[in-house]
Amino acid sequence: MTDTTAARNLAPLREGYKYGFVSDIESESAPPGLNEDTVRFIAAKKGEPQWLLDWRLEAFRKWQTMESPHWAKLRIAPIDYQAATYYSAPKRQNAPKSLDEVDPELLKTYEKLGIPLNERAALAGVAVDAVFDSVSVATTFKRTLAELGIVFCSFGEAVREHPELVRKYLGTVVPQGDNFYAALNSAVFSDGSFAYIPSGVRCPMELSTYFRINAAKSGQFERTLIVADKGAYVSYLEGCTAPQRDENQLHAAVVELIALEGAEIKYSTVQNWYPGDAEGKGGIYNFVTKRGACRGARAKISWTQVETGSAITWKYPSCILEGDDSVGEFYSVAITNNFQQADTGTKMLHLGRNTRSTIISKGISAGRGQNTYRGLVRVQPKAENARNYTQCDSLLIGDKCGAHTVPYIEARNPTARIEHEATTSKISDDQMFYCQQRGLSKEDALSLIVNGFCKEVLKELPMEFAVEAQKLLAVSLEGSVG
Amino acid sequence: MSALAEIQPYVEAFKARPPVPEPSWLVQRRDGAIRRFSELGWPTRKQEAWRFTDLRPLQKSSFPPAAAAGDATEADVAPWRYPNAAHRIVLVDGAFVPALSAIGTLPKGAWLASTSQTLHERPELLEPALRETDVLGGQAFVSLNAALFADGFVLALEPGIALDGAIEIVHLGRAANRSAQLRNLILLGPNSRATLIETYAGAGAYWTNAVGVVGIGIGAVLRHVKLQDEDEAAIHFGHNRIELGRDARYENFTLSLGGRLARTDIHLKLDGEGAACGLYGATLLRDEQEGTIATVVDHAAPHGTTREYFKSVAADRAHGVFLGTIGVRPQAQKTDANQLSKNLLLSRRAAIDTKPELEILADDVKCSHGATVGDLDEAALFYLESRGIPVAEARRMLIEAFATEVIERIEDDAVLRAHLSRHVARWLAAGIAR
Repeated sequence: MTDTTAARNLAPLREGYKYGFVSDIESESAPPGLNEDTVRFIAAKKGEPQWLLDWRLEAFRKWQTMESPHWAKLRIAPIDYQAATYYSAPKRQNAPKSLDEVDPELLKTYEKLGIPLNERAALAGVAVDAVFDSVSVATTFKRTLAELGIVFCSFGEAVREHPELVRKYLGTVVPQGDNFYAALNSAVFSDGSFAYIPSGVRCPMELSTYFRINAAKSGQFERTLIVADKGAYVSYLEGCTAPQRDENQLHAAVVELIALEGAEIKYSTVQNWYPGDAEGKGGIYNFVTKRGACRGARAKISWTQVETGSAITWKYPSCILEGDDSVGEFYSVAITNNFQQADTGTKMLHLGRNTRSTIISKGISAGRGQNTYRGLVRVQPKAENARNYTQCDSLLIGDKCGAHTVPYIEARNPTARIEHEATTSKISDDQMFYCQQRGLSKEDALSLIVNGFCKEVLKELPMEFAVEAQKLLAVSLEGSVG
Repeated sequence: MSALAEIQPYVEAFKARPPVPEPSWLVQRRDGAIRRFSELGWPTRKQEAWRFTDLRPLQKSSFPPAAAAGDATEADVAPWRYPNAAHRIVLVDGAFVPALSAIGTLPKGAWLASTSQTLHERPELLEPALRETDVLGGQAFVSLNAALFADGFVLALEPGIALDGAIEIVHLGRAANRSAQLRNLILLGPNSRATLIETYAGAGAYWTNAVGVVGIGIGAVLRHVKLQDEDEAAIHFGHNRIELGRDARYENFTLSLGGRLARTDIHLKLDGEGAACGLYGATLLRDEQEGTIATVVDHAAPHGTTREYFKSVAADRAHGVFLGTIGVRPQAQKTDANQLSKNLLLSRRAAIDTKPELEILADDVKCSHGATVGDLDEAALFYLESRGIPVAEARRMLIEAFATEVIERIEDDAVLRAHLSRHVARWLAAGIAR
């Protein structure tokens, strides 16, 4: 088999998007369009305090002066921000206190997605703060976490219950005017998750949130804020699926991580939104700002992502290594098939002494996919003995796709050691031949080789995620050979 | 100064040029080029290709073209003379100086002369090389050069001509606050072969703006060496556009030592199947020097090969930049390309920026790149010191070894390797302040 000929007869995705269905829930949406009144509407709907409304308005005013970034290797059809709906919530039922009170339609949706929300949650050992469109519906394991002093709740709840924590940290890593999409998010963010791990506490379970976009034409603007106090540890999982639709949906999330002295945050994402169909129609626009700050000595932030969905991905989870001896890590697998485009990577900013960072990025392009790694490693003058290792590998399947690598290395301190290496190649015919000669089908052989290619990243994922991610790789690449 | 005021002296200089009889196509192209330059103005840091370049030394004052060649003697050229040169062309302040040049006997079918002489005698050679793209798509410095150039050199070989002896071109800058706008052309017919050593040197705060167009025909081979050893107060921009035909080979070595602000741009297109290029170089920087190597390699045909290896050393408050792009077009299957940028950062106030970039649109390719930044190896330093070598000497030895390692990549030319190594040693002997 040669991949070139295979790709020319590229078959459309056979299985299609497994999670493509729309559940019928009455939405309470804001009228389409965006102005200061929209921002006020959202704040009022959510019963937010004045300071947060002011903060949103400030962001909105900054957003109005900004332009969407155009430097990424992405082709984006012009987005009409006035046509989108900026708020939609499942109909309120006086805040459900238990799962019995939750809209059964909603529960069914989760069931189809296989989210361990009910007793399955206990079995899987996962606490889910499930976000359906915009408003949190149910939160589990809260009590167990509360006993340890861990706060894990929806963003809205955090604003009500722990305003001092939210105020202290909100926007300190990603300021309102950081970039176009972050400013948009800051103005209209709907809900999201908040986690606070107190000093010295090791969170006993993986925290997880499922994001799901539901109401038609409603962009989702999640805001996540995770604070690990001194010596705390938390592993956070984020996974996404979205129903199949024809129109592009906009998603502009902001995630802020703060690790204080000796704390560690592990943030894992499996992103499986709808990538559009085989002709490139539809799919999610994913413009996300994710950034973590290692505020104290020996803090550690680790990003792991598996990006398989989205028509367009614009995402650069970054680490600001302020504390001495702090560590930043970025492990990424990005797959683009059919007409998907991804421009993703990371920024490692070394500010403190003895700071270390590792970047492992695996890009896989198939069909007409375009996959770009874009990364920055910057070592500031005071970052004595900073160390970075970067490895970016790209795999090409088919001759209509593209793989690009754009690393920026900016060194300002002679004691820094920075290494970057990158390779681009196709799956070798020898490997495929070997597998097929052992009786594997083409697709199985491809899946095996791709999983091997991504192993260094997948092994960083928590167990439950690793299993899902492996399946996802196979599904995402379906139809790219044979 | 406003952006417009900064470029005004050049527009004025263009209008004030003394009337020289020139072919009408050239007059037209010059007019188009100055218009284009006026539209473009100087590049800014917002432009990706210029984000690391600090153009202030250029913008602070103006450098209208020198009116004529300044005084220069044999002794001024001597430090840079290439021992094995069979032909020599010397240009001072952008103008050909016959008294210092010595063009040996050329075989029939070989043309080597100054650009101005070529314009008089063989204008047909230059016409296709000064194509519209220079005027339209080109960046500001190329457009300015197209409008203002007066001289340079032209090498044209007919099919099958092999020049055995090396050709040496020396560009000397002597006139303070003046610019030399050089336009060079190298056209190698099928299966021809040549070795070219270009040296840029001088004294004073002048600006060299050189643009070269290089065409290498089917199966032809060019070894192109550039020794950039401008005065440390001077500004140097060198922009070469190279196109390779089928099975053609181009090997470039750029040793960059001088200039307050120096930038070498290489835009290379592998246009024919099986073409190969090797781009190598070392940049040594101290004091407040800023040195940039910017390469764009465009694989437009199958079975192309690229080997790219650049090293830079930044001491004191210097700033070293490497911008390297390798692009592989969809049709350029079986491309084999690699690119390496290694950098030594020797001082707390020095800076290195490196951006090795791959843009791959074909699948059956083997492409890789790498980059490293770091200080001298502690263990190696300790080893030398433990053998009784003073630390300053040990550092010098290690820097020299770092820089000359890439010179060793030049195959089968011991004279050339020795010539370049000698200049590296000379640069190091002057010392760095740290």
